[in-house]
Amino acid sequence: MWHRGRMQTEEATTLRAPANLVSRRAVTLWTVEALVPVTGLLVAQVVWWLADDDPDRGVHWLVGAAWLLVSVAYVLVMPRWRWRVHRWEATGRAIYTQTGWVRQERRIAPMSRVQTVDLERGPIAQLLGLASVTVTTASAAGPLRIHALDLPVATELVETLSAAAVLEKGDAT
Amino acid sequence: MSDAETEWRRLDARMLLIHPVETVVRLLPALLALLVARANSDSDQPWELYALPLIVAFGVLRWFTTRYRITGGRIELRRGLLNKQTTTAQLDKVRTVDLTARIYHRVLGLAKVEISTGGGQRDRLVLDSLRVDEGRRLRAELLHRIDPAVTGLPAPTGVPVTVDASGTDVSATPAPTDEELVRLDPGWVRYAPFTLTGIATAAAGVGFLFQAVGRVRDQGEVIASGTEWVRGLAIWVDVLLLLVVVSVLAAVAYVLNFWGFRLTRNRLGSLHTRRGLLTTRETSIDHGRVRGVQVDEPAGLRLVGARRLKVVTTGLLRERGGADWLVPPAPAAEVVRVATDVVEDDDAVTAPLQPHGRAALRRRLTRTLVPTVFVLVALAVLRSTTDAPAGWYATAPVLLGLAAWLGVDRYAGLGHRVTPRHLVVREGSLDRHRVALERDGVIGWTVRRSFFQRRAGVATLVATTAAGASHYDVVDVTVGRAYEVMEEISPDLLAEFR
Repeated sequence: MWHRGRMQTEEATTLRAPANLVSRRAVTLWTVEALVPVTGLLVAQVVWWLADDDPDRGVHWLVGAAWLLVSVAYVLVMPRWRWRVHRWEATGRAIYTQTGWVRQERRIAPMSRVQTVDLERGPIAQLLGLASVTVTTASAAGPLRIHALDLPVATELVETLSAAAVLEKGDAT
Repeated sequence: MSDAETEWRRLDARMLLIHPVETVVRLLPALLALLVARANSDSDQPWELYALPLIVAFGVLRWFTTRYRITGGRIELRRGLLNKQTTTAQLDKVRTVDLTARIYHRVLGLAKVEISTGGGQRDRLVLDSLRVDEGRRLRAELLHRIDPAVTGLPAPTGVPVTVDASGTDVSATPAPTDEELVRLDPGWVRYAPFTLTGIATAAAGVGFLFQAVGRVRDQGEVIASGTEWVRGLAIWVDVLLLLVVVSVLAAVAYVLNFWGFRLTRNRLGSLHTRRGLLTTRETSIDHGRVRGVQVDEPAGLRLVGARRLKVVTTGLLRERGGADWLVPPAPAAEVVRVATDVVEDDDAVTAPLQPHGRAALRRRLTRTLVPTVFVLVALAVLRSTTDAPAGWYATAPVLLGLAAWLGVDRYAGLGHRVTPRHLVVREGSLDRHRVALERDGVIGWTVRRSFFQRRAGVATLVATTAAGASHYDVVDVTVGRAYEVMEEISPDLLAEFR
């Protein structure tokens, strides 16, 4: 995809992308998650169809078509696009993530400033054997999230990070 | 615990007088409603009087159950009768200590002490209230535990003040060891009308006035004739009148907030501010928590050559209005002097900043012009369906001109600089501010690129920090420059991911 090629050529001189991809099942997870709001909108539309007394259904078809277009694009494109962007890497001294799709972010935090490490598993993530890791620093603006890792990878990462964080002293502000 | 016998201390018994007053003030609307209702009914049962003993009883209970002590490197606060709560904070986590004395506190020589140990509302201990000198001694104990030899010294803002009936603790002179960085010059009141906060306060005042006028209009013969008189005046006189009223109210707000403002620094480097006419407020900031300063240069103050100064520190809550102010609106030279003194880095405060380039300018203009054009088109469409006069078309060039000016000025505000000790960031137009953030205060980086930013080859570099606004942004710099800044400030960090 063009956006990745562009990022790499521009930034290769200063900073490479994080080394690791997230789990391939992330695409499934994000697809299911994308279906939730899309289905909600569909339900709203059906209710509107039933509640409206006007025999002229033109507006309904128009809105329905727009819904179909946006939904299909969102459900099909977003997960794959995100999967190509999302990357992470943790070394003994720092943690580095890349997230987003339309809006992309790279976050870096030194291990010495890590305050908490959380492992989260939503219901769908549990079914798929996935987990997310959230690393917080003393800044309210700086949590690093790594979405949709394979559970063994996530637990190992949490252990590594916790061990590294414990070694550091001070209140990390 | 070995030192379990450390004595528990209580709040000052005079808080028993304050508590009912505060409760009554808080319940004032309800009480008024009750009085009105009683005036209209035949019942002469004095219901509101029955509440008084209850309120007093609550106060007594609170006094009996609230205790605090400093022991084993911690401060403990215990309160509650049935639901006992103990709040504990490590002394080395104490970041700021606030002494607030409302008018009734001052009459009794008391002050409310608030101890902040972190960024959240839960991370604070409130002692309501202690004697002023006891509060100051506690503050000294809390902020000076670094050096046990210093704890024996007099309180940081001076000799414990003997508070007379009028509570003139504002005029207390600092101990000779304290260095005075700034003292309010009454002439600075002239800047009040040029600040947004001043105008907002004034607007609130005007609004309140109008409401009050609305309530009593029926009876108020004078007010009615007054409104008639105002209506009869020419429009420019009305505008002038409004400006005068707003300015006066803003000046009053300034005086109430900042009267007797003083910023001092003690021998350990801790900063102390003291301010207020009726409600006095003292804030002490441990110098170890200071991560930089923020020079505010909003458009209004720029117009008259004024600035104001805030401190960037950990442990101050943002909603606590004005606790972080180091200098109220004052002449630019004065603010620059104090800022330089606090951060000890001339370049961070005064040196010119590196501009962000053409793409940043283009993006600023797009962001102001596109919405304006959108609004104008919408208005034109609206007009074509109704038959409003075509006169407002004349405003289109004016609006577009204003939008273009705003875009250019917002671009002019953008800038950054890396000094040996600080990252300096400036942004904004109407609310422009220049932040000098200590390099050590940066605890992480974010490089954010929206779809359009990627197309323009720029990025927003965010330095995250535990202090102040918790993140400071270098908006729309070229991607290469963003990584250069990171590299300069955190070389080790970037070396990991080359």
